Amino acid sequence: MAKYRAWLGVILVLTIASVVVITQIPTRLGLDLRGGSQLTIQVQPTAAIPTITERELEAVQTVVEGRVNGLGVSEAVVQQLGNNQLLVQLPGVSDPQQAERVLGGTAQLEFRAQRPGTDQQLQIENQVLQGHLGELAALQATLPSNGEINSDTQARIDKLQADITASEKAVAALFELSTLGGDKLTDAIARPTSGTLWEVVIQFNSEGGNEFAEVSKAIAGTGRTIGIFLDNRLLSAPSVAVQYAETGITGGSAVISGNFTAESARDLEIQLRGGALPLPVEVVENRTVGPTLGRDSIQRSLYAGIAGLGLVLVFMAVYYRLPGILADIALIIYALLTWAAFNLLGVTLTLPGIAGFILSIGMAVDANVLIFERTREELQAGKTLYRSVESGFYRAFSSILDGNVTTLISCLALFYFGAGLVKGFALTLAIGVIISMFTALTCTRTLMFLAISLPQFRRPSLFCPGLTTARPDTVRP
Amino acid sequence: MKLNIIKQRGLWWGISIGLVLVSLVAMAISWQQLGAPLKPGLDFAGGTRLQLTRACVTTESCTEPLELADVRQVLGDQGLDSSSLQLLGEDQQVLSIRTRTLTVDERAPLQSALDEAIGPFDPGSTQIDTVGPVVGKQLLVAGLLALLVSFAGIVAYMSLRFKLDYALLAILALAHDVIITAGVFAILGLVLGVEVDSLFIVSLLTIVGFSVNDTVVIYDRVRENMKLSPGSHINDIVDSAVNQTLARSINTSLTTTLPLVAIVIFGGPTLKYFALALIVGFVAGAYSSIFVASSLLALWRERTGQAYSDDPGLAEAQPETQS
Repeated sequence: MAKYRAWLGVILVLTIASVVVITQIPTRLGLDLRGGSQLTIQVQPTAAIPTITERELEAVQTVVEGRVNGLGVSEAVVQQLGNNQLLVQLPGVSDPQQAERVLGGTAQLEFRAQRPGTDQQLQIENQVLQGHLGELAALQATLPSNGEINSDTQARIDKLQADITASEKAVAALFELSTLGGDKLTDAIARPTSGTLWEVVIQFNSEGGNEFAEVSKAIAGTGRTIGIFLDNRLLSAPSVAVQYAETGITGGSAVISGNFTAESARDLEIQLRGGALPLPVEVVENRTVGPTLGRDSIQRSLYAGIAGLGLVLVFMAVYYRLPGILADIALIIYALLTWAAFNLLGVTLTLPGIAGFILSIGMAVDANVLIFERTREELQAGKTLYRSVESGFYRAFSSILDGNVTTLISCLALFYFGAGLVKGFALTLAIGVIISMFTALTCTRTLMFLAISLPQFRRPSLFCPGLTTARPDTVRP
Repeated sequence: MKLNIIKQRGLWWGISIGLVLVSLVAMAISWQQLGAPLKPGLDFAGGTRLQLTRACVTTESCTEPLELADVRQVLGDQGLDSSSLQLLGEDQQVLSIRTRTLTVDERAPLQSALDEAIGPFDPGSTQIDTVGPVVGKQLLVAGLLALLVSFAGIVAYMSLRFKLDYALLAILALAHDVIITAGVFAILGLVLGVEVDSLFIVSLLTIVGFSVNDTVVIYDRVRENMKLSPGSHINDIVDSAVNQTLARSINTSLTTTLPLVAIVIFGGPTLKYFALALIVGFVAGAYSSIFVASSLLALWRERTGQAYSDDPGLAEAQPETQS
C-alpha cells in the first residue's frame, strides 16, 4: 500500500497548496460581477480609407487608450478585437455615459500657434501638469491588484484628475485656435538620427503644407512654439528656428527633433497618426452593470453553488454508501483545486463562468458514478472486493476518457468562436473537466484502496447494499 | 428494473418523433409570428436594454409597485412607443425596458426623464446593454459556427474511437436533443415571451458535449459486449448494454441536474433560463441515448447484415480485459 500512501501525500500537498493559493491570490471577477462597463468600439472605414489595416487599428487604439487614461479609471483594458474593433473594459466606472461619449468621438488633432507673451506661463502650467501626472501615476502604481480602493485614495485620485483637466485647459488657453487639423496631416514617421537620438517626420497634404508654412513663419525665431494637440491635450510643443522667419517651413513636410528616445519618438508617431486618421469610431456594444447588481449576482451564484454541491454530496453518500462518501471527499478536493487553478491561471470569473463551474461539479461525479456502477457489477458477478474495485476503475476508464474528450471538443469550439462571456464559460468548464478527470482517477482511487486496506471497511455490503449473486441478464461469462 | 429497448422500439421512437414534430411545429409557428424560429434576444437582434432599480430611500417609498402606464407615458414622450416593458423583482421595483439601439445621446435623456417621472433609481443597480445590429449578427454567426464545428469534431473523434456508423447515429441523437430544446424555447417564446441569447447557444453546445457523453458510455458497453460474447444477436447485445448502464445514466443525469435546479432556484434571472435549457437538453439527451441511439444502432446493424458480426477491427480497439 506504499504506492497509495505516496499518492495520498501528493493529494494532501495539492489540497493544502490550493487552499494557500485561494487565500493568497484573489479571484479575478468579471465586470458583470464587480460592476463596470464593457464597450466594443468599431472603427468605421471612410471613402479615403476603405479598409482598416493593422496599422490604422493600432493608431486608433492609441487614441482610445489616451482617452481612457483621461477618464481616470484604474485597471482599464483596451484590446484589439478582430480586425476592426476594440474592446474597452472599464471596471467600476462611475459615469458610463461620459465614458461612452468620450470614447466614441473621432480624434481631434490640431496644430496651434502659441499666443505671444505666454512663454513663462506655458512653462509653469506645464510643470504643474507634469507634477499632477507624476503623482497620479505613482499613486496608481501602489494600488492593490484586486481593485479595492479605500475612499481616501479614491478621493485623492478624483482630485488629481480634476486638477489635470484644469491644467490641460489652462495649457490649451495659451494657444490660438487653428484650422490646421489632423485631416491635413498625411503621415508621421519616427526615425533615428545620429547616435541614439530619434526624430519624428510629419507630412501634410498641399493645403496643410501651405497652412503649416503660415503658422511656422509667424512664430519662427520668437521662442514661441507650435502646440500639437490631440483631443485638446498637448502632445508636443516644438519651436521653429529663426531661419524660417522669411518663408516658414514650406514643402509640406517637417521634422520634430528634440530629446526623443526610440520609444518616445514611436509614441508620438502613433499618436500623430491616430490623430491624423479621419476614421470615425462608433460604440457598437455597451454592457454596463452597476456595482450593487454585481455584488448581488455573486451572492446568488454562491448560494446556487453551495446548494448544488450539497445536493450532489448528499445523493452520492446515500446512494453509493462508503464509496460515495469517498467520492464526496474527492469532489470537495476537486472544487478547491479548480478554484485554485482559476486564481493561478488568472481566469476572469464571469456569471456564465460560475455556471460552468457549478455544472462541472455535477459532471465531475460522472466519472465516479461510472466506476462505482462497474464495481457493483463485478461484486454481483462474484468477484472479490479488491478485484471488483480494481476492475471498476480499469473498465470505466475508456468511457470516462471518451466522454470527457467530447465535452472538451465542445469547449474548444466555444472558446474559439465565442466572444467575451461565452469564452469564460468554455474556459471554466474545460478546466473543470480536466481537473475532474484527475481527481476521479487519482483521489477516489487512492481513497478507495486505502479504505479496503483497513479491515473494518472491507465489507462488500458497504460498497453494494443488498448484494446478491450474479444477475441472470449479464452477458459476462 | 429491466428495459426492453428493442421490443418496444416502436413506442420509444414514436415518443421521440412526436416530440421532434411538436418542436418543429412550434418553431414554424414562431417563424410565422416573429420571423425567426426562436424569439431572438438582445444579443442577436440588437437593441438597448435598460434595467433600473428604484432607490428605496425610505421603506415607504417602495411599497407600491412601479406603474407601467407611467413608464409608457415617458417612453411615448421620447418617441419610443414600440419598446417592450417588464417589471422584475419580488416587489416589482425593477424596471426593464427594451428599445431599439439607442446612442448615448438618446439614452441619457430617457434615463433622466424616467428618473424624474418615476424614480429615483439607484445608479449602483443600473444595468445597460446595448448591442448594435452588426454585433448581433456576428454573435449569431459565431454561435452557429461553434455548434457546427463541435458537431464535426465529435463525428471525427467518434469515428476514430468507434466506427463511422456509431458516430453518425450519435449525431442523429444529438440533433434530436438540440431540436427538442429549441422547441421548448420556441414554445416558451410564444407563450411567455422568453428570448434566446448567446447563453442559449452555449447551453446547446454544452448539451451536445454532455449528451454525446451519455451515448458514448452505452456504445462503449455495446462494443465491449460484442467482444465478450461473439455470436450473440445485436439486439440482445444492445439490450443488455443499455440495462447494464441504466443506473449510471439515471444517476449521472440526476447529479448533473441537481446543481442546475439549484441555479434555477437561487441564480439570477440571466442564469435561470440558461439552467432550464440545460435541464431540458440533458433529460432529452439521457432519453435519446438510452432509447434512440441504442435501438437505431441495432436496427442499422441488422439491416446492413452485421447482426452477428464481431468486427475484429473493433475488438482490437478495446483494451485487453483482465482475466
